[in-house]
Amino acid sequence: MNTPVKNNKNSIPQLVFRPEFEVSGIEQAQTSEVARKLSTLERVWNIDGVRKFVILLSLIVVWQAYTVGFDVEPLMLPSFWLSFSTLIRDLFYSDLIWKVWFSIKVLIIGYSAGLFLAAILILWATVSRFGSDFISMSTAMFNPLPAIALLPLAMLWFGLGTASLVFVLIHSVLWAVALSTHSGFEGVSQTLRMIGRNYGLKGFGYVWKILVPAALPSILAGMKIGWAFAWRTLIGAELVFGASSGSGGLGWYIFESSQNIDTDGVFAGLFMVILIGFFVENIVFRNIERRTVNRWGMQR
Amino acid sequence: MSKIPDVLVRPEFEASDIGKASTADVARKLTLMERISDMNSVRKLSILVIVIVAWEIYSQVSGVSELVLPKFSATAWALVDAVFSEKLLYMVWNSITVLITGYAIGIVIATLLTTAAATTRFGSDILSTLTAMLNPLPAIALLPLALLWFGLGADAIIFTLLHSVIWPVALNAHVGFMSVSDTQRMVGRNYGLRGIVYVVKLLIPAAFPQILMGLKIGWSYAWRTLIAAELVFGGSISDTSEGASGGLGWFIFASQMDLRIAYVFAGLFMVILVGVVVETVVFNKIESLTVRKWGMQAR
Repeated sequence: MNTPVKNNKNSIPQLVFRPEFEVSGIEQAQTSEVARKLSTLERVWNIDGVRKFVILLSLIVVWQAYTVGFDVEPLMLPSFWLSFSTLIRDLFYSDLIWKVWFSIKVLIIGYSAGLFLAAILILWATVSRFGSDFISMSTAMFNPLPAIALLPLAMLWFGLGTASLVFVLIHSVLWAVALSTHSGFEGVSQTLRMIGRNYGLKGFGYVWKILVPAALPSILAGMKIGWAFAWRTLIGAELVFGASSGSGGLGWYIFESSQNIDTDGVFAGLFMVILIGFFVENIVFRNIERRTVNRWGMQR
Repeated sequence: MSKIPDVLVRPEFEASDIGKASTADVARKLTLMERISDMNSVRKLSILVIVIVAWEIYSQVSGVSELVLPKFSATAWALVDAVFSEKLLYMVWNSITVLITGYAIGIVIATLLTTAAATTRFGSDILSTLTAMLNPLPAIALLPLALLWFGLGADAIIFTLLHSVIWPVALNAHVGFMSVSDTQRMVGRNYGLRGIVYVVKLLIPAAFPQILMGLKIGWSYAWRTLIAAELVFGGSISDTSEGASGGLGWFIFASQMDLRIAYVFAGLFMVILVGVVVETVVFNKIESLTVRKWGMQAR
């Protein structure tokens, strides 16, 4: 077995023995830096917030430089500084803050009414098969229907005013939340369900103590989508019909400014929309997630 | 010493009347009625029929004004009439072409952004700053600006559609890329994949469920934005003069202005129909061909 070369001259090539040699110039072994102290600049640059802030700042600088440098017509694209000072002026010396408050009030009413109705529908769907069929049928039908398309009908039924805004907001929240909650409930594992049954939970207690916590990630996702739809719908609806309901809201402010070709006012309104949207998405919902699904380890 | 309690001895007894053991139905043939009502589609269809019948009966009996709630039969007839004599299908086609244009361009831009974000840290920072700022901004709020910059016409709508598609798609794809497991990443690196090939061959398949979710959300925002844009600025945007007939949103708006409420409902039916077709048929097909086939997503 220890003879690797058999005496078969036809098929096996001759073995080539490499001559022994000694490498002459090996230097002293040396490692490069394994750990190195970062310079202050590198450490500052490694902070996420700093980098993002710099990006934001450079965007603003580019905007300002472009508008000032190329002498762009302020009616087409006002400079950042002009828009920003319009925002400050209207916030503190005009009634923009009340318009914002008006929008938020309508949004909260519509959103909570939508959540409430969604909760009732979902409860019905968990206790009866008919309810479950009803909910999957109606969400499949109404979820693809943009709420804003119902606005003409809503104005006909409820007149011009807050009631029709609330109606379309409910429509925009209800189906998104109901759909994802329903599918969340259906995805709760059998083990968890059986544990609940084993503890003798039934009806409302079963839903509240087993299904809701287990399906919270998808419920939250539904609430976020519902919020996004509601916010879009509200701004869209107010862009046209806000004026009729007394003071009008943020969307109406944007529309009014654009009608007066007051483009810096439009940008001021957009800043405000971004600010509110950013606050709700990155502070309110992020905190809720951190307190619940992140802490419970259901979601990274 | 503590006292040990008395042991209670239960008297012996014999249960007197145990009946003959018998089993109840273990398996039973369902009646025809039960079998029919166990079919999902039958139950759902019957709910739809019940709603329609209730609507028809209510509007017939209560004598509610045609202007407030038209009868279902009138609505159905209006839909047929609109399709055959008012070129409703043509309007739907108008809307859909605008939608597809905006959606496609939006996806291309989102792809570029996400690729940059996946390969460099600076790109990732730019993307997350931009999405955090612009994702909460409803696209429809940009319409006044778009009208100012691009004039009245399809360009302005496409600009707002772009805005409504890019951010959710880019955001979801980016989050999906970030959560691709390190094992898979290292396998890719091990094969020597880099740059665009790394993104196409490794990150995209691994993050496809999230990407698809972003595409779906982007579609639903775009669809809402399009209808809203046509509805809100319908009169000013669509060329109604030269035989070009505007879009679906414009049809709803015009019908409402003429107080032809049955036609408003017909337009809404059309909106639902298009939405249902895209969401259930198109996206379900894509899902069953990809993520479900690959076993990345249950059901």
